[in-house]
Formats: sequence, C-alpha cells, structure tokens
Amino acid sequence: MNRPKQSLDEALAGLGTERQPARDLWPAIARGIAHSGNDVHASDGAARVTPATARRPLALVAGLAMLGLAASLAFNFRSLPLSPTGTVAGAGIVGGAAMPIAARFAPPDDAHYLAARAELEKTFKENLGLLAPATRTRIETDLAAIRAANADIRAALEKDPASPLLLQLMHSTAQQEIDLYRNVARATTPMTNPRTRT
Amino acid sequence: MDGSNILPFPHAAPPDEAEELARALRGDVQAFEQIYRSHLPQVYALCLRMTGQPALAEDCTQECFIAAWRALPGFERRSRVSTWLHRIAVHAVLNERRTRSRRLQAAPLDDEALAAPVPAHDAGTADVEAALARLPEGARDVVVLVGLHGYTHEEAAAMLDIAVGTSKAQLHRGRRLLAAQLGLAEEHA
Repeated sequence: MNRPKQSLDEALAGLGTERQPARDLWPAIARGIAHSGNDVHASDGAARVTPATARRPLALVAGLAMLGLAASLAFNFRSLPLSPTGTVAGAGIVGGAAMPIAARFAPPDDAHYLAARAELEKTFKENLGLLAPATRTRIETDLAAIRAANADIRAALEKDPASPLLLQLMHSTAQQEIDLYRNVARATTPMTNPRTRT
Repeated sequence: MDGSNILPFPHAAPPDEAEELARALRGDVQAFEQIYRSHLPQVYALCLRMTGQPALAEDCTQECFIAAWRALPGFERRSRVSTWLHRIAVHAVLNERRTRSRRLQAAPLDDEALAAPVPAHDAGTADVEAALARLPEGARDVVVLVGLHGYTHEEAAAMLDIAVGTSKAQLHRGRRLLAAQLGLAEEHA
C-alpha cells in the first residue's frame, strides 16, 4: 500500500493532550495538603477562611473525629449500594462530593461501620487474586498510598483534632479506601457469583 | 514553590467549574479533589512530556496540585482553571529541574542527532513520544506547550520565563529535530 507521507503536525496531533498516570495521585496530594498547613486558606488573614457556618458542625464533631468519620463512611456505604456493573477503572472516585459538609459527618455508628468495612475488606482480599496481575499491582499501590496518607493525616489530627481541613482530608482518603474495596468487589462479582453471569 | 506568581490569562471559567472553584476557595477539599480529577489527565500529560519520565511527571503533578491548593486564595476567577494549573505545572517541572541533583532521564539529543536513522514507516504514537522525550529540554518545553497544548509563543514564553524570540527559535529547533528523528515532513502548522 502506498500511503502519503505523514507530516510532523499530524504525528504531534496524534499524541493528544491527555494521559492518565499509572496510579492515583490524590492520596499523596492529600498528604501534601495536610502537611502544608491545616487551613492555608486562612493563613493570609483574609476573608477566605472556612465559613463559620461550615466550621460549627465540624467543630462539634472534632472531638469525635474518628467516630464521626467512621459513621460518615457507613452512611455513604449504605446509601450507595453495590452495582454488579462497576469496574476497577473507577477506583478512587470519591462519593458524596455534592453533600453539604454537615451531612458528611453523620452521628457515630462505629460498630456498624467497622463491621461493614471488615466485610468489604474481607471480600477485597478474597477477590483481589482474581484480577490481572497488572491491575492487582496498581490497586495494591493505590491502597498503600491511601493508607500512608491516612496515617499521616491521622497523626496530624492528633495534634490538631479540630482542623476542618484535616477532617475533610481524612474523610476523603478513608472514603477512597472504601471505594477501592467496593470497586474490586464490583469488578469481581461476576467472577465469583455464577448467578450474575450472562 | 507557592504558585503565588502564577499570572492569569483572560478566559472565564466555565459555570460548573466556577462552582467547584468557589467551594474549594471556601476550603472544601472534596471540591478541590473534583477539580484535580477533571484536570489530572492534561496536567499529567504536560508534566510527562516536559520531564520525559513517568515518575518525575507524577511528582510534578502532585507538586502542581499541592501548590495550586496553596495558591487558590490568589486565583483570579477570570482565568481559566486549566491555564492556571498548566502554569503551576510548568513551574513545578522547572523547579524540579533546578533542584534535582541527579537526572534520571536519557541523555538529550544534540543537533547532531539529525543524522540519526530514519524509520521507514509512519511514526506511531510511541515513536513520537520517544522522540519528544529525547529532545533538548528547551526545545521540548516549547514543542509541548505550543505544538501540543496550543499556547501562543507569548503564553509559552511567560510560563517558561524566556523571551518570545527564544520560544520561536526553540520551536523551530524542536520541530527540525523531531522531523529528522521520525523521518517526517516538517511542514509548519
């Protein structure tokens, strides 16, 4: 076949301007934000601080940070049932972004959350081996990054338990961990449950 | 870097993005995470092409978004968020180059590389990416910003802190090297 010679502009145009990194970078960014200061938006003394209306419910839960966080995750978990059509490609997507801040910190329900989380983690560990090695490696890398970020933010919260920023970051990374478990469960459900096969 | 010297370009932010931006400005990290997820592919691609190394590109992308969070209070709403983020990303890459003592990237080509073998087939994406990664940094930066992302020489020169004339010269050099590497016709856009 005799094709016309490709031009440099055509070759460059074929590259596109979007690429996805091999891992989720958000957990590391969340760590960086946590390390950069608890409320950098307020550091200049300007009016760009978290509004008092948003701070008040956060302050109320500050003393119960971990329990409140756990409950908020349980809330999200219960309100978003698993779908057999999900894929691992969505790992890391954080739910509840549109909810008002107060709604994201529901009353404590520690036992329920821990049980739900333990069940998800159990399924995750059982089903992880069903995935392709490259996918598994990526998920394990993401999980390690999420847990490292979580540990850092938790340590920062011990020093400043009332920080709205740290609470949000804690929520964000913990939610990512739950989403990761759920997405693996979704992606592997057709493999483990013959009734869902088509 | 703190991103405080990032100058805006006169484009309005789309309405949805403006809402997310407003929430992020009020300290809503989840809104900022949405901005991150919307712009990650372009920012990472920019960093990847400028560094030529996925690991460095990931570092620079992370630095970019951390710096963007810090710089949010100074963000001018008449700017386009993507342009603002790209400027921060370019700063992150330049900063990384300045502070990094050891370079992991392959040795860049000098102009002698024009004599390199010419592929007999049309250049595939991988060939073009590889050739781009081997360009000298100055030429690569301008090819990425002007040739790929569509910035003007004035915008690219401002981002890279170089003269407009230098940007034009680097683009010409970069295109010449790329065309020779890939065996392609260098017709100008």
